[in-house]
Amino acid sequence: MKNGISRREFFKLAGGAALTVAGASLLPRFLRKTLLPEEIASAQEPYDLFFAGTDGWMSIPGSTPPYHPDTYAPAPFTTYIFGFRNLTGMDPALIAGQKNKAQHNAPLWWVDQFDPSDPKDFKVQITNLGLAQRPDLVDSHTLHWHGFRNVIPYFDGEPTGSVSVPVNRFFTYVYRPRDAGTYMYHCHVEDIEHVTMGMTGLVFVRPLQNKYGNGAGAPVARASGGAANAPLGYVYNDGVAPGDPRSTAYDREYPMFLSEMWAEGHWNDAHIQESDWSMFKADYSLLNGRVFPDTLAPDGGGFDPLTGDLIAPAGRPDLQYQPHSALVNCNAGEKILLRFANLGFREAAMTFAGLSVKVVGRDATYMAGRDGTDTSYETDTLLMGAGESYDVIFTAPPKSDAGYDTYLLYNRRYPQDDDLSTQGQRTEIRVYAPGTLPAQDPAAGYGI
Amino acid sequence: MVSSKLTRIRISLTVLIIILVIGSTAGPQHVKAQQAVPAVGVACTTDVSPNPTFNLIAQSGYIQMPDMNTMYMWSYALSGGIFQHPGPILCVNEGDTVTIVLQNQIANYMGNPVRTSLIFPGQENVLANGSPVQADPANNSLTNSIAPAGSVTYSFVASRPGTFIYESGTDIKLQIPMGLFGALIVRPTLGADHVYNRVDSQFTPGEEFLALLSEVDPYQHQAVESNRFFNLNNYRARYWLINGRGFPDSIADNNATWLPNQPYGALARIYPYNAGSHPYPAVERFINVGTEEYPFHPHGNNGMLIGRDGYPLEDGGQDLAMEKFSFNIGPGQTWDVVFKWFDAENYNPVTNPIPVAAPDLVSLTLGMFFSGSPYLGKSETLPPGKNTLNECGEYYIISHNHALFQLDSFGQTMSGPITYLRVDPPQPNTCP
Repeated sequence: MKNGISRREFFKLAGGAALTVAGASLLPRFLRKTLLPEEIASAQEPYDLFFAGTDGWMSIPGSTPPYHPDTYAPAPFTTYIFGFRNLTGMDPALIAGQKNKAQHNAPLWWVDQFDPSDPKDFKVQITNLGLAQRPDLVDSHTLHWHGFRNVIPYFDGEPTGSVSVPVNRFFTYVYRPRDAGTYMYHCHVEDIEHVTMGMTGLVFVRPLQNKYGNGAGAPVARASGGAANAPLGYVYNDGVAPGDPRSTAYDREYPMFLSEMWAEGHWNDAHIQESDWSMFKADYSLLNGRVFPDTLAPDGGGFDPLTGDLIAPAGRPDLQYQPHSALVNCNAGEKILLRFANLGFREAAMTFAGLSVKVVGRDATYMAGRDGTDTSYETDTLLMGAGESYDVIFTAPPKSDAGYDTYLLYNRRYPQDDDLSTQGQRTEIRVYAPGTLPAQDPAAGYGI
Repeated sequence: MVSSKLTRIRISLTVLIIILVIGSTAGPQHVKAQQAVPAVGVACTTDVSPNPTFNLIAQSGYIQMPDMNTMYMWSYALSGGIFQHPGPILCVNEGDTVTIVLQNQIANYMGNPVRTSLIFPGQENVLANGSPVQADPANNSLTNSIAPAGSVTYSFVASRPGTFIYESGTDIKLQIPMGLFGALIVRPTLGADHVYNRVDSQFTPGEEFLALLSEVDPYQHQAVESNRFFNLNNYRARYWLINGRGFPDSIADNNATWLPNQPYGALARIYPYNAGSHPYPAVERFINVGTEEYPFHPHGNNGMLIGRDGYPLEDGGQDLAMEKFSFNIGPGQTWDVVFKWFDAENYNPVTNPIPVAAPDLVSLTLGMFFSGSPYLGKSETLPPGKNTLNECGEYYIISHNHALFQLDSFGQTMSGPITYLRVDPPQPNTCP
């Protein structure tokens, strides 16, 4: 240990420092729902994010007797999960209270691309709160940033080639993200089980072009403090003007995270039974951790500063631990970015009814051959395999009168849901007349 | 979840891996002498160019599964050789006239003779006994088939480089799942160290790897073995294999003695990219002979997809290659991926240490391949009672199918289509 301080003391110190900083602004940082690496780095904390792995319960509609809903589930929940929680800056006294309060999907987060002229490390510390429902299980956890290029095994989170985190221990992953785009992350311990039980989420890297613009006329993005009329951001360092067909500029962005639930597998974990994962089937397919029409319900309300627990969306206590809405709201004429990542086990065919979208990125890579050839394409059905990510942009269609027009986004591979009583991976894209919705806050909704 | 049963199996797997790693003493080797089988990497079966001839015998036999189950298979033997699965990796040169003589020694199934054949997807103008191949619908065959004890000679000109499949064309819903397939690699005129006739497809000799992905429904194989009818409507794969093996067998050397009928390992072993001393990438040739897509995910580095189904990704003079971190390979497809690995941060314990205080090893769960050190080429003494299979501070970076339920062998988790990229410290090193 560098400073002669044990990791545990170091961590306690960090918690105290965070509270001091939070007190200065009257709100705990995690409640401000911001995730700004610059500010955090200046606070001289040992981490930028602090995640914990634990178990918990979520709510999925439908019925798959005898496994779903699970009779062990406390009301109003149905399904046992493993998951992550973001406990950044939380009082250590509250942290232990988050055991058995996991969420699905895992917290959304993003990082600015590493800037060699202003180098900052991004540090994600994780701990393991253990499993309240399964005290017999003492699985370790890791954070595997899926798709991170040329990372050493120590920071890759694959436990066989490096290390994993036992109950009540800590480990800090250090990232210098040099490649913009959309990624995903998950625990890699007992990979099949911990992934499908819910320890999965989406992470993306904002490009340097956001911060500096480019020489071709792209201004500094709003996400990096640019002018009010600038694009919210760029998906990649595309090097072209915002009006160029190859531009990745956008006005709003939404994550679309795909996962699946095999009811029997979840039930088995809650009931201390073994699962034969080779019999996996996707009983329920989830978008941002929810099944339609829950996908349309609003985001959760952040964290309760008194308990550290998640605040359920208004009127939806059953969605307390599924805080991510999948509803897309936009104004006509705006450029809308959807960041897709699939950590289900099956190929999905995400279909846009009545909309054409342009694929501008795939697997955190700008759509271009090695010689720069444009390989972007238009489609209305995004076929994406397990572990793939896609960035798609569409222009919201015209709308001039009051209210909104609805366009559906759904998985055309509907037989994948064995329980067809639910609508699975489906959401709505709602288009309002220009100027109806205020500009999107680039920080809102992230970190939770 | 770690049950006592799994723990037992893991202990046996660990013992096995110790044998594997200790046995794997050969570093990345050059494949110039193609008949000398390297410890890791593509183990080609070759014959004299420009008229290579291969004698394949379709047979019944058994292979070993990761859960220690034994599986009845149909596959091939080279004439004079023994039953092996998958079939031999045939490597030829672009422009060669390839001759494959197929003999049928498959046992009867449910009292009936089993006809068989070979098809060569991606090859054109294939001849059977000197005449253009013809479908044989009366025998449920896509091509000219032969009865037991029969023989047929197929030939074709390998007109373009790339990675291809050969497989049964008869009763394919039964015969391909039973194991009648293999890989065909056609090397370009530009040279054996290129994937295609493109300068940018050059790879490092000795760093050429194959991932032939397949699946097994044990009930189907059991039915065939015991001469019972199998209703294909009940088909459900429960094992998934890479080069005919499941992890941990997948990382054993080629021709590992304890896998006599599964000669092909899938461990990739390379040195880090270095512009001066190690400038070219490695190549992984992916093949899917299963029934659904296999999304293969290499950790720690992206791959550059440069070709599919024997066609380079190009359009006229334009390059359409794509960098990816999940390769979603469809049934019957082949994908050629070049990749290199380097530490983007050049971490070094003295000059550029990792920017975080590492916890004591005693506070962490240590992986069985972990050296104890974050740094390539470094090892640390492990806490009492902790063991590692690491030899010299090399890195092990996993590479696996991300349809994660397929990382399973009939209920035995964390097996199946998993392999590793072993990155050795730059030479000179202390690796055995």
